[in-house]
Amino acid sequence: MKKSGIFGLHDVPLRIVHEGISFSIERDRRSLLYKRECMDEEVENIFLSSNSRVLINPIEPLNMPKELTPYLLIEFEKSIFIEPMTNRKIFLTFPVEIGIFVHGKKEYQIIDVLTLAKQKFTLYGSVKSGIICKYWKSDVYSTMPDINPIYEGGIELNLTNTTTRWVEVTKAVFNAYGMKIYYSDDMVSMKANMKILSKKIAEISFVGSHLKKGMKRSLELYISRKIPMIATKFLMEEGI
Amino acid sequence: MILDNVIHGNITGLDSVIYGTITGFDLIETVVFLIIAILIARLVVIYLRRSLKDRMSRDIMEITIKVIYYTIIVIAVLFALKRLEIELSGLLVAGGIIGIVIGFATQSIVGNLISGLFLMIERPIKIGDQVDIDGTSGYVEDIHTVSTIIRTYEGLYVRIPNEKVFTNKITNYVANTARRFQYVVGIRYSDDADEAIEIIKDLIEEHPIALKNPSPKVFVDNLGDNAVNIIVRIWAPPTEWYDLKMEMLWKIKKGLEENEIEIAFPQQTVWFANELRKKEVS
Repeated sequence: MKKSGIFGLHDVPLRIVHEGISFSIERDRRSLLYKRECMDEEVENIFLSSNSRVLINPIEPLNMPKELTPYLLIEFEKSIFIEPMTNRKIFLTFPVEIGIFVHGKKEYQIIDVLTLAKQKFTLYGSVKSGIICKYWKSDVYSTMPDINPIYEGGIELNLTNTTTRWVEVTKAVFNAYGMKIYYSDDMVSMKANMKILSKKIAEISFVGSHLKKGMKRSLELYISRKIPMIATKFLMEEGI
Repeated sequence: MILDNVIHGNITGLDSVIYGTITGFDLIETVVFLIIAILIARLVVIYLRRSLKDRMSRDIMEITIKVIYYTIIVIAVLFALKRLEIELSGLLVAGGIIGIVIGFATQSIVGNLISGLFLMIERPIKIGDQVDIDGTSGYVEDIHTVSTIIRTYEGLYVRIPNEKVFTNKITNYVANTARRFQYVVGIRYSDDADEAIEIIKDLIEEHPIALKNPSPKVFVDNLGDNAVNIIVRIWAPPTEWYDLKMEMLWKIKKGLEENEIEIAFPQQTVWFANELRKKEVS
């Protein structure tokens, strides 16, 4: 297992240079100066705070390069077929986006979002009624794969075929408003359920529990913006 | 003396009965009540706009706010009518006769109003959409009951009566989830078209906004007079379509040139009828 070593709450000043990620937060009298020189751009921000700390944790992978959609579509490298009335567990990977928050007076503010994963968007469904999704292609694993948490996280997907027929599954669409991300030094993970309702329809929801002991819950971006009327599940009606 | 009259409501005219039991004071009281109701409605609108701004789309937010605003106003007006002892049934009878007169006078306004209602029901356009209505292109800023406001791409304010919006051809550029654009890239006959296609496909794959699905299409379309013409078709989210279209063309041009594939330009080979005479002259 590779260790990230960057996730968690840090004191200021802070300088991180790790696998293509490079940024620093320095104290400047009564303010903090954030500098980032990676991902083909330079960013500098000033924070008027004297005793803040910095939280670095994985966030919903839907902010880079631009926040276009709250949906993540994971296409399986190989199709899987699930037998009727069965429950099976599989593991997939997902791209990791790293959120850098400044923490002061019990409030968190996002400073920056970094990612080393490949960025791509796709359309789920038809041009008329489909939705734009962030795209990711993943192998299907039977156990949690050994992946670098800076680049990729793992999803434990619990598939339940409620139909009386064999069903082919080629993709899964996840709603960011329901994502519950957990992290440790060597792993970023989520847990979700995919309830197959028919040959072309499935419902995907997240489970709020970690994959192993000691993992911490991420401070997510979409949770803070959540309002009761927004659904946290996703109903795949345009094919699975 | 004057103050005393005010306190006791004895100013000439104000305590006198206007009709029924309604006095001038009742009238002023009702007007003040209506003003307060309008102020409250506006405060509610400001509060809702601030609190809902980050939580729902602008289109739904504006409709919600309008419904709440007009509900408060209508309730206030109903209370005011009751306070002034005006019977709604009486108004309806009087309104029937006056309505015909007003109907003729305000034919176009009523037409716009009804068109506005149909626009809100059918919803061919929403606030924030990029549209073209009868040759006016831009962003829909607001949809009022009688008119639609367009902010053109040049930043102009255009007010279009709803009747015109409803009866004219509307092109909504962002109604569907994805939009396609196309380039024709002409390369020289001496260049390898298969290689050019691979380079263009790789460039599209590398760009995050160019959609994976519907898949982009790159193919030789025709053998032109001066070039082998390659068609490039790319799908993008409608909000990003224009930026991507501008960015990708130059990337393709640079990508091809880096691989020594050049964009062909019109050229003509001239053959002299008598080559010998040409030699004599020289």
